[in-house]
Amino acid sequence: MADQEQPKTELESSTPLEQPGSTVTQVRTYKAKGRIVGMSIAVLAIWAALYIVASAIPALPVPGMAGMITLNAIMTAISGMILGPAAAIANAAGGIVSMILFPYGFSAGPLGFLTVTMGGLVAGLFMANKWVLAAIAEILIIGSWFVNPQSWQTGMWMVPLPYSAIALLVIVIKPVRDWVRNAIITQNKKTMWLAVFMMCIIGHAAEFLTTNTMVNWMFNLSWQYWVPTLPYWIMVDTVVILASTIVGVGVLVGLKKARLPLFPTTLEK
Amino acid sequence: MFSVSLKSLNSPLQKLDGRTKLIFLAVIFILVLLFTDLLYITALLALVLAAWFIAKLPTQPLKEMMQFFLWIAVIILIVQVFFYPGTTNLVHISKPVPAIGFSGYLTLEGILFGLAMVLRLVVIMIVAPLMVMTTPLPELMLALVKLKIPYKFAFIMTTALSLLPSIQNRSAIIQQAQLCRGISYDSGGKFITKLKASVSLLIPLILGAFRDSQTLEVAMNSRAFGAPIKRTFLLESRFTPVDILVIAGAFMLLTVGVMLRIQGFGVY
Repeated sequence: MADQEQPKTELESSTPLEQPGSTVTQVRTYKAKGRIVGMSIAVLAIWAALYIVASAIPALPVPGMAGMITLNAIMTAISGMILGPAAAIANAAGGIVSMILFPYGFSAGPLGFLTVTMGGLVAGLFMANKWVLAAIAEILIIGSWFVNPQSWQTGMWMVPLPYSAIALLVIVIKPVRDWVRNAIITQNKKTMWLAVFMMCIIGHAAEFLTTNTMVNWMFNLSWQYWVPTLPYWIMVDTVVILASTIVGVGVLVGLKKARLPLFPTTLEK
Repeated sequence: MFSVSLKSLNSPLQKLDGRTKLIFLAVIFILVLLFTDLLYITALLALVLAAWFIAKLPTQPLKEMMQFFLWIAVIILIVQVFFYPGTTNLVHISKPVPAIGFSGYLTLEGILFGLAMVLRLVVIMIVAPLMVMTTPLPELMLALVKLKIPYKFAFIMTTALSLLPSIQNRSAIIQQAQLCRGISYDSGGKFITKLKASVSLLIPLILGAFRDSQTLEVAMNSRAFGAPIKRTFLLESRFTPVDILVIAGAFMLLTVGVMLRIQGFGVY
C-alpha cells in the first residue's frame, strides 16, 4: 500500500479519569482536525459537490461566453457569505473537479479554478471581518490587471472600474463595511437585500476581474475588444449578481428557518 | 453542456501514472503561454494531437469542442487580425480609422498573430480533456495527493466526487417537484423564467445539502477523521521506466522552450 505522511501526533492531557482501584490516569486523545479556517470539512466537501453539480446546469444564455452561464457562477458570490474564507478551498476543490469533468465552461483553461477561488476568498475574508486581507487581495487582483502592458492601452482602465472599484470601496470604508456585515448577520429584513447585493458584488468582482486578467494574459486582447464590449459585460455581471442576491437571501433565510447552523454568525469565532 | 469522462481504457497514455500526466499538462500549458509565434504553437498543437491519437481517443469530442469555442475563436481572430499593429500590409480594406486603431490594411503579422492566439486557445482547451479521458478520477486524486497536495484538500475533492450522484439525484427530485408547481426548466423559456427556475432549484438544493453535511460531519468524527494514524490508500501509484522517460522528456522540452524564449525565439 502506498502511504501518506505520518500526521503529527497530538497527545494531550485530557480530563483526568478515575479508574476503579487506581489513581488519576492520562488518556490519549487527539484534536478534532475536521475543520479548515474554522469551517467543517464536511460542509466544504458538500459545497464542492454542489459546485460541481451546478457547473453542469446551464442557467442563463450569454452570447459570446461559450454558451451559458452555469449555476456555479451564482454560487461563487454567495460562497464567501456562507462559508467565510474557507469558501476559497471549497470553490477551488469544486472548480478543479468541475474543470476536469466539464472543461468547456472554463475559458481560462487549466487555471480556471483560480477565478472562483479568488471570488470565494475575497468575499469570505470580508465576511469574516478580515477586511485588510480582503482589501489586499482585491488590490492585488486589480493590480494584476494593470501589470499587463495590454492594459495600458486607451480606455483599458475602465474594465476593472464598474464592480471592482465598488467592491474595494465597500471593503475599505468602515461604516459601509460594518453595515453590510451587520445586515447579513442580523438578517434585517429591510436592509438584507441590499447588503447581500453588495456582498455578491465583492465576490463576483474578484472572480470576474481574475478571469478577465487571465484571458488578457493568454490571448492578448486589445482595447478594441474590451472597451466596446464593456457595457455588455457589465450587463452580464449585473444579471449574475442579481441572481446571486436572490439565491443568497433565500439561502440565509432558509438556513435560519430550517434551524441549521447560521454560518455567518459563527465566522468570527 | 457536455462532459468528459474516461474514454481510453487500453492505451499507452492510460498506463502512465497520473502524476506524469499532470506534469505533461503543466509543461504544455506553460509552453503554449510562452510562445506567440504561430510555428511554435502549431508544433505544440501537433504534439497534443499526436498524444490524443496515441491515446486512441475518439475525434467526436474534438469536434464538439471546436464547435463550442468557435464563437470565442472568431472574436479573438477578428480582434487580432484587424487591430494587431503589423507592418506588412496585405489587403487594403478602407481608409485608416485612428479612433479605433485600425490602419486600413490587413497585415501579415495580424493574421499570423490572430491564428496563433486561436491555436493557443485550442491547445489550452484540449490538453485537459486529454488527461481526463485517459485517467480514472480516483487515480487523478491519488496523483494530486502524491504531488503533496494537502490531504484535507484532496479529501474534499474525493468526497465531493462521491457525493455527486446523491446531489444529482436530489437536484432531479427538486426539479420534478418544481415542475409540479408550474416552474419551467424548458431551455427555450424566457430569461425571467430561467432566472426563477434557477432560484427555485438552487435554494432547496443548498439547504438540503447543508442538512446532509451534519450527518457527514458526525460520520467523519465517529471515524476519527484527522486521528494521528498512518494513512494508507486502496490504489497504488508507482512510476514505471516509461513514466520517468516521459517526465524527463517533458522537462527537457520545457528547458529548451524557456531557453529559446530567453534567446528571443518564438515571439513576434
